Parts: sequence; C-alpha cells; structure tokens
Amino acid sequence: MTGKSLDIPARPYTGEKSRLSRAYDYLILVLALFLFIGSFHLHVALTVGDWDFWQDWKDRQWWPLITPLMMITFPAAVQAVLWPNFRLPLGATLCISCLLIGTWITRFFAYHMWNFFPINEVLPATMLPSALVLDAILMLSNSLTVTSIFGGMAFALLFYPTNWPIFGMFHVPVEYGGAQLTVADLFGFQYIRAGTPEYLRIIERGTLRTYGQYATPLSAFCSALLCTLMYPLWWYLGKAFATTKYVKNI
Amino acid sequence: MKKSLKSLFSAVYLGLCAGALAPEAALAHGEKALEPFVRMRTIQWYDVAWSKAKLNVNEEVVITGKFHVNADWPRGVAQPDATYLNVSAPGPVFIRTKRYLNGQSSVSSSALKLGGDYDFKIVMKARIPGRFHLHPFINLHDAGSVVGPGQWMEVEGDASAFTNQIKTLDGSVIDMETYGLANGVAWHGFWIALGSAWLLWWVRRPLFIPRYKLLHAGQETSLISTLDRKIGAAIIFAVPMIVFGANFVTDLKYPNAIPLQAAMDQIDPLPPAVDVGAVQVKIQRAEYNVPARAMIMTALLHNGSDHPVRVGEFATANVRFLNPAVVQPPQDEGAALAAREGLSIDTADPIAPGETRTIRITAEDSLWQRERLDGLIRDADTRMGGLLFLYDNAGRRYVSSVSAPVIPKFY
Repeated sequence: MTGKSLDIPARPYTGEKSRLSRAYDYLILVLALFLFIGSFHLHVALTVGDWDFWQDWKDRQWWPLITPLMMITFPAAVQAVLWPNFRLPLGATLCISCLLIGTWITRFFAYHMWNFFPINEVLPATMLPSALVLDAILMLSNSLTVTSIFGGMAFALLFYPTNWPIFGMFHVPVEYGGAQLTVADLFGFQYIRAGTPEYLRIIERGTLRTYGQYATPLSAFCSALLCTLMYPLWWYLGKAFATTKYVKNI
Repeated sequence: MKKSLKSLFSAVYLGLCAGALAPEAALAHGEKALEPFVRMRTIQWYDVAWSKAKLNVNEEVVITGKFHVNADWPRGVAQPDATYLNVSAPGPVFIRTKRYLNGQSSVSSSALKLGGDYDFKIVMKARIPGRFHLHPFINLHDAGSVVGPGQWMEVEGDASAFTNQIKTLDGSVIDMETYGLANGVAWHGFWIALGSAWLLWWVRRPLFIPRYKLLHAGQETSLISTLDRKIGAAIIFAVPMIVFGANFVTDLKYPNAIPLQAAMDQIDPLPPAVDVGAVQVKIQRAEYNVPARAMIMTALLHNGSDHPVRVGEFATANVRFLNPAVVQPPQDEGAALAAREGLSIDTADPIAPGETRTIRITAEDSLWQRERLDGLIRDADTRMGGLLFLYDNAGRRYVSSVSAPVIPKFY
C-alpha cells in the first residue's frame, strides 16, 4: 500500500461506465438508508424498547446491558457484507446513523407531536461513538476475531459514558410527594403513561450489588462480554443472508 | 355493466380507504375489554367525582373516589402485590401533580390488601387544550388495568402557556418541559456530525462495483489508504478520550446525581368501610337471565343496625343499578352508566332492625350487554361480584361486597 495510490481514489472505470457505477452506488445507498431506518429501528423498538423510549427507564443496570447488546446486531451483520466484499468500514456507523434518523423522527412526530410527551422525556440514546470505534477497529485489524473481542467490548463499554453527558442531568434529585426522586422519575410520575406504570419499569432489579453501588461498570462489562459473542453471531447471520452474486455478474 | 361494476368497486374501495385513513379521536380506553369477572371482582370503584369538567391550561382538577379490593379475588388474576393508581388519558394532556392514597402522598406503586378499603385523590393540571376523556384506573401487575368511571374534560387556553417548574434538591429551579433538551440535542448533533463526516469520507468515493472488482482483482491495498488508517487510529484514540472526558465533566457538574428510584410505597388500608358488620349480606344464589338481561340475586340480609334499611343500589364494574325509591339518579356524566330503575326488590318493606330476611334482588338493564358484562357466563370464572348499597331512613349508607357463582338462564 503506497501513499500515492491512497491519495487517488480507486477508479477502475471511466466515462459512461463510471457514471453508471456511481448511479448504482447512490441507488444502493438510498435503498439501504430506508431499509436500515425501518428494519433496525423496528428491531431496537422491539428489543430495547422502553429502555430507550423513556428517561425513567434509563437505569444503571439494565439499560447499559440491553442496549449495546441489541444494537450491535445490525452493525455486525452489515459489516459482514460491506467489509469482506467492498472493504467499506462504515457498516456500524451507517446502521446507527439510520437508527438515529428513524428514532428522532418517531420521537418528534409520534411521541411529541402526536402523543404530547415533552421531547426531553423521550430523548434517545446514541451509540455513534461506539459505532465509529467498531468500524475503525475492523478497518485497522481486518480481523473478525479482533473486532469481535476489542470492537465488541468497546461498543458496550463506551455506551454508558457516551450517554451520561446527555442523561446525567436527569438524575439530579428532587423532593416530591414526600420522597426523593430523580428528575427522570418525576417525568414518569407527572407525564402520565397509561400503559407503563411505575411498577412495570424493569430497572434496578437484580443482584449486581456485591460491589456496593458500582452497578454500572458491572453491567457494562457484562454487556461487553456478551457483545463479543453477539458480534460474530450477527456477523455470520449477515453473511448468510446477504449475497453479492448480482455484483459478480456485472 | 362491467364499467358500472368497476366504478362501484372503485367507489367502495376509495370509501374504505378514506375511512381507514381518516383519524378519529379515541373515545374509550378499553374499559370494556377486560374480562367481566376481573372487572367485577377485583377493584370495586365507587363515589368517584371530579372537581370540575371545564378548565384552562395550568388549572387543576381534583379526582376523588374510593375503591374496595374484593376479598373474593379471582384465582386467575395475580394477587395485587404491585399496583399503581393511574389515570388514563390520550397522552399527557394533563400532568399529575399530586396523588394520595388513604390520605398518604404516593408517587410509586404499592401493594393492596384483599378486602381493604381505600380512598384516593389525584390532582391533575391541564396541559393541552382539547376535549379529553379521563378515567382513574388501577394497573394490576400481571393482570391489566381495571378502569374506573370516566369523565369528559374540556380544556381551553394556549398550550404554550403551560408551565411546570420544579425545584431540585441542589436548589435550582428547572422547567420540566425543556430541561436538558438543548444539551441533549447538542450532544446528538456533535456525534451525528462526526458520524456523518466518517460516512461522507467513504461515500464520496466510488463504492460498490469498482471496489468489489478491485478487491477481487487482488488490488485490496488501493482501497484503504494510509490517511484512512490514520483517521481510523485517530478515531480509536480520540473518540474514547472525548467520551470519558465528557463523562468526567458531567460527574463533576452533577455530584449529587442518584440512580432511578425503584422503591414501592407502603399504604395501609383505611378502617373498613365495606362489610363493617352492622348490615350483613350473603348471596345465596345468582342467576343471569339472558333474554331479560337481568341478574337475579337471592340474598340473605341481616340488619344489625338500629334503623330499618332498604337496598338502594347494586354497583359492579362501574355500572350502577338504582332503586328509584331509595336513590336519586345521577345528573352528571355518570348517568350514562346508571340504570335509573334498574334495581328492584321483591318486597318494598324495609328490613327492620335485628331482622334477618331472604329477599330477591333483580338488577335488570341493557347495560349488562352494552358494557359486555353478560359475557361473564362464558368466562373461565363465572362468579359475579359487586357492591350492594343499603340505606336507612336517616340517610346512613351501608356497603356490602357481594359475590356468588352465576347460573345462566337461557329462556
């Protein structure tokens, strides 16, 4: 790999062929955009669901465990197509960006405009830093094993600290109704949700209390371990369900 | 002929599409959806009232009422170890500012005791103008929602005038409507900008076909440049630095941040208000006459009070069957679920003090069918339940919770 060849983008085609191949790029990109906005967003809504929907579900134990584990799925599958076949290290960032587009659309139009929830109550989490690191590790290592171990771990471990600057301020305590609540809890009490009462929140349950009040790092490392397994699983799923046979025929 | 048929089908199809697409306001909250035996034999609501039906944005309405937790709790429904007194509404068009159970302020879930009596008070502050139907209801963990009586509320004013300021324990006053929004959007914007830059870095080049051809022609090295690798290395180094740096600054900024709170409230029942002993009622047999839409209850009554009493009302699943000789019908919205002359007794004579008598009580009205309570006879649990209200001459009220297996009569 020489420095010179790298400054010149790979262009095996010229003229009309180049124009057609570029048109094909845009066609695939636009289709991929809508496909991932729809499918990945649906996947996250069904699996992460309330943990991502509401401020008062974003706890120290389940939120950092479930969210990376469910969000590393599509990035791994898409990387399994884009990297081995095209050497494009953008699968994770593309998926998470599409997810965020879909998420912001629904949070604004469905939750805020249609159902009247204040938009700050339904702020989504972001995994873009995790996705960027995952893409970069895959590009630099060119290895499924290394990316599974280090990329998968980084994907999970970066999640909570990435989002704490967004959500930390919602954990400021308030006295309300004779009890100490966080601002996030107060959203759940004041802004009524018929279907998700307080007791249904799956938060702060479990036995991660052996190390005192440091539940978050334990959850994050547990998630990191699981992500190292989830990543190759979805990599092979992506590989099994995607094909490049149409590109071969061109 | 073919053309006419085609036009007809097209018109019907378009009509159906238009009907499906035209949104309509939701006029119910599934209050009839729960199986009848659950509605009749779990949470038995009564005396539910609203302080007003019309208000402006930022004004408050107070919902008060009582409920009895039926001791004959259905075996198929989870015990009420975790319940939540809620309000159903089309989204947070109101906010709940205060809630009291048995006079005790409550912000979390609580357990209910079988046979216990509870009164509640919920203060709601209008947030969005419009006409909304509100119900108090109890969420039963693993069972569903038992909805109480509803009321239409009309809210006028300007939604943008709504305020909800809260003082935090660190002394700052925050606006719940906007708190943290700008910060959250800024962080999302920052990461989206970085992510988009990475995507554009790659998308600006020829992508799929040329890269596939070059890769499979053994020219892989031309696809990832030194600069690409440097940027990748920078990402691996800089992104975690930013993440952990921002995390550290946030910890410094909010040193008193606490985890989400998950405790349950402990609420004790009131002194018994139902089945207090002065008047005792035992249902000996209950028949549901299907064509007449009537529940006929044979009841053994013992009047242990000092005054003669008469049966005035049978209430179940928010439906009230009234004996017009004893109880005046409601004039408000509750009239829709009240059978004004729906309750009849086989004898008009009051039950004298100390007397024990078997009487036949008939609760008859189409409300059995309209409220989908007649489906009880086809349930897995065909026991009925409800509250029987008896009155003496001085206006004192005795409430008795009754239940019994129901035998259907099909003709």
